[in-house]
Amino acid sequence: MYNFIGYGIAMLGVAIGLGLIGYGAMQGMSRQPEAIGKLQTVMLIAMAFVELIFLLTLFLGKSLIGG
Amino acid sequence: MRLTRTMDILNLSSTLIASTEGGEAHHGADFVNVFGYLALVLIVLFTLLSIAKKGFTGRVFKGYLAGASEQLYLFLENMVVGTIGAKGRQFIPFIATFWLVIFVSNIFSLFFTHAPTADLSFNLGMALISIGYVQYQGIKSNGVLGHFKHFAGPKMTGVLVLISGMLFMIELVSEIMKNLSLSLRVFGNIDGGHQAAEAISTVVGGVFHMSWVPAGTLLVPIKLLTCLVQAMIFSLLTCVYISLVTHHEHDDHGHEAAGAH
Repeated sequence: MYNFIGYGIAMLGVAIGLGLIGYGAMQGMSRQPEAIGKLQTVMLIAMAFVELIFLLTLFLGKSLIGG
Repeated sequence: MRLTRTMDILNLSSTLIASTEGGEAHHGADFVNVFGYLALVLIVLFTLLSIAKKGFTGRVFKGYLAGASEQLYLFLENMVVGTIGAKGRQFIPFIATFWLVIFVSNIFSLFFTHAPTADLSFNLGMALISIGYVQYQGIKSNGVLGHFKHFAGPKMTGVLVLISGMLFMIELVSEIMKNLSLSLRVFGNIDGGHQAAEAISTVVGGVFHMSWVPAGTLLVPIKLLTCLVQAMIFSLLTCVYISLVTHHEHDDHGHEAAGAH
């Protein structure tokens, strides 16, 4: 049961990180609409890296703790 | 010492495969499932591409699929050239292959219980090909010594050489972990989509006693977005890794030029 609490905490952190990335990207896009293409690419890369943290948590937790 | 550490990391990835495939150690991947669905994906892909190729015979592009594939090519070319630069045009076939295989197989995962990209071993194979090609390109453009010197960071003198050694080890591990990160990302998103759909169906069937409602299907629109984004991210990250490896010499010159200005 404790591993589910851990997954919840990991998800909380990842959600905050994704929100911050979206916030920053949207602010940049609204300030500079001509840079939308470049900003979207960089935003997607950053989102992929943040998402990976959660996936690593999930699979490492699964394989090390066995939950 | 370094070799054993590498072996440990490789063992970790096979442990991950074992743990996701039902917790049995080294049960092995289900080859019939993976290769059967992979064959299906390739059949669909080649059929679509051969239909699209028929439209290219005239002076104009005829047919819906030919137009769509042209748009896809332009999108990928824009991505590759934007990331790597004008030199990157030679990598477009490599990147486009990854994009097409991952995207079609992700679309398969929307309608079938299995798909090649919903299996960690297939993704790990693709990641190994991608990172291996990146190493090949790095060695080709910088030479063997230049490529591995690149791992040690900036030039240090005296006792600071120790830091270079540490950086080299860290970079080596991170280079190996790139395989794991590329494969885990696609696998986690596609297989996670499957598991989320299954969980929603279980909740609707078990709690609300309405198992005739295909509630997991409601996730298809958001999973479609995931399919597109994952295919794009895999090819984009391959582009970024290639540009990091092939552009380094160029970047150094750029810094010198910037200093001269």
